[in-house]
Amino acid sequence: MKRREFGTLAAALGLAAAPFGRAFASVADLEAASGKPVYFRGWQFAPEVVQSNVKRYNDLEHGKIDYATVTGDYPAIMEQSLIAKADLDVLYANPSTAVRYYEGGWVLPAETLPAAAEIKADMLPQFLDAWSYDGKLLGLSYFASTRGCVHTNLLAYNKAGMTDKDFPADWDALYDQIYALHDKGVATPILPHWFGDWYGISWGFVMEVLNRGNPVADPTTHKPTMTVDPNGPAYKTLAQWKKLWKSKLVPQEVLTYNESAYIDAFASGRYVFSPQQIYDVQTMNTPGRSQIAGHVTILPIVKQTWGLIDSALYLMTNRKRPEAQTDDVKKFASWYGFKDGDGKTFVADRWMDTHMLFSAYKSVMNSPATEARIKKAVARPGDYEVLLDVYKQTPFPVGIWRVVWSEEFNSFLKDTLSKFLLNDGDIADTIKSMNDQIDSLNDKYGI
Amino acid sequence: MATIAPQKAKARRRELTDGQFALMIGLPVILLLIVIVAYPLAYSAWMAFHRILFFGGYRTKFVGFKNFATVLNDPEFWWCTWVTIRFTVESVILTMLLGLAIGLLLNRPTRFGGVWRTLVFLPWCVSLYGAGLMFAYLARGQTGLPTAILAHLGMQNVPDFMTTRTIVEVLAIGSSWTMAPLVGFFVLANLKTIPKRLYDLAAIDQLTPLETFWNVTLPPLRFTLFVFTSIATVLSMKLFDLIFVLSAGGPGDASSTLTYQLYKVSFINLNLGYGAAMSFFLLLFIIGLTMSLYLIWGRREKQI
Repeated sequence: MKRREFGTLAAALGLAAAPFGRAFASVADLEAASGKPVYFRGWQFAPEVVQSNVKRYNDLEHGKIDYATVTGDYPAIMEQSLIAKADLDVLYANPSTAVRYYEGGWVLPAETLPAAAEIKADMLPQFLDAWSYDGKLLGLSYFASTRGCVHTNLLAYNKAGMTDKDFPADWDALYDQIYALHDKGVATPILPHWFGDWYGISWGFVMEVLNRGNPVADPTTHKPTMTVDPNGPAYKTLAQWKKLWKSKLVPQEVLTYNESAYIDAFASGRYVFSPQQIYDVQTMNTPGRSQIAGHVTILPIVKQTWGLIDSALYLMTNRKRPEAQTDDVKKFASWYGFKDGDGKTFVADRWMDTHMLFSAYKSVMNSPATEARIKKAVARPGDYEVLLDVYKQTPFPVGIWRVVWSEEFNSFLKDTLSKFLLNDGDIADTIKSMNDQIDSLNDKYGI
Repeated sequence: MATIAPQKAKARRRELTDGQFALMIGLPVILLLIVIVAYPLAYSAWMAFHRILFFGGYRTKFVGFKNFATVLNDPEFWWCTWVTIRFTVESVILTMLLGLAIGLLLNRPTRFGGVWRTLVFLPWCVSLYGAGLMFAYLARGQTGLPTAILAHLGMQNVPDFMTTRTIVEVLAIGSSWTMAPLVGFFVLANLKTIPKRLYDLAAIDQLTPLETFWNVTLPPLRFTLFVFTSIATVLSMKLFDLIFVLSAGGPGDASSTLTYQLYKVSFINLNLGYGAAMSFFLLLFIIGLTMSLYLIWGRREKQI
């Protein structure tokens, strides 16, 4: 080939490749193209971080993301927006809510994203399972956490003459130790998961029953599985609750706490044990935020798991809009919920860095930066392994959360359990009413 | 003459009757009311007679009066009605007493009167959401004012007011804290219209302060007090924000008023037909109570 011919060929190739220059520069083309806004509504958690992430997307990818926070009861408000076909493209949802929205026909599953295969390959299996419904992955990872891992105030625990080797191995042992601690002069040994939010007392019950080995409802048929056998998980849980309530070791006001008050209460140092969010280990160990900073660990897994999977997804709606706008929704969801244009899990990494929000992505959780971040938050170096162990083994109540009636049952459970405590309810009757409610909801939805 | 008479007749034809004129200027408001009141009301009525399902495909089914009957047979409805009555009575009494006290205090000549008036008016400007957060902090044992005072005195007690016994009272205090300043200012405006000579005459008659209040101050205030009692009653019966933030209807259902229950039924359980039926009972209660107030108290004030 002559030098002149080579030059011409090179120029032609260069010209031909020019339109794809951006694609070569980044892993995926996530640049917005429709010129129309994408409506993103979030709940009130660190809105300044979300705002800054959105700005980054808008700056880098010429997006027109319209972001706003929603105050009040987020799931209910979003549900009304979806029913009303409001301007809403991307939202947060817990897995159970996501299932409900999907059944309402309002969700565009994450399966439809071009990077779906890569996303699923990077997802920890327990979350991929928890977030899939009808064979489809519903959304992308916002956070993936363990709620109900038992935070332990080592200052009070050690002061009572107890050490790591005394750590309770299961819920029964934990309750036994509560009374032992009280006998040793600890006024309030436990702050139970009985607070007033919709994920408070009801989830507190579900996690205990689940950890004790009962799924509450069958994962496939959704038929109730709780029994009135005094040695059964549900019965034992309620029996322990009744005993604890009657002992007056827990103030009644706990039932009216929101989550923030619940976290503040444990951070005050008054309590020894409390089932909390795994990522709040950071909050509890932060000086200035907690009276027991540097002295909070979580109970390790010995005989049973602790807590349940508490996670949230970024969902895309399937409201009527031009195809180009839907493409922009997918691009933004992919950028925000998985990887940016440079192939980095920017948003998930940032959540880990700022708030220690755990992610469902292996690439985030296995990164050295994440390890360093968690190690910075725990009280003792060995706690890092304990945290990851608890996190990786956390169960998910498939039978009651991967079903359309989940939110309705949760609301019923919240009322029933509060009344059970306040009115000294009968254990067997309470379990029976829960099972009846599940049956009635199955009938309602033809399950 | 022949030309003037038809002109007069023409002019008379153009003139609107009082009714027509009233209709003309009222038409925009009537149209607005149809849009923002009549349509939602009619839609609610339609929902109350239907079972509405959104999941597994949107569908509705006419169920007649079933939703209304279910409401009446629901013990939770009657419990929430009782909580609503208890809360409304306490809230209205507190609001009116506080409002009257504010009006009377602000009517006294003091230095920095303007500053006091501004300060006293501030609670009315606070959103119910904000007030709810504040009273939750104040009433809880964990963060509450009584706990702080006791701790300052060296005591370790943690008084808890967020209990089934006292939560309605906490809500009533919170509600009256936000409403009373407005009542106070209308009472104050009313007080400013009372001629000073009436107080001079009362002094000549050697009336005690209580007698002066009863015979001179109170009579001109009675209509204002009636109006605000009615307003406070309606506002208390449909209060939601404060309850949502302060107690979320708890502990258990101890502070679950009808509005809060409606929210739970309609927007959490998405049982819209049942919720709509319940909302009509709430509407009936509100209309019934305000009508009773008018018949017992308002009509008499009007005659005076």
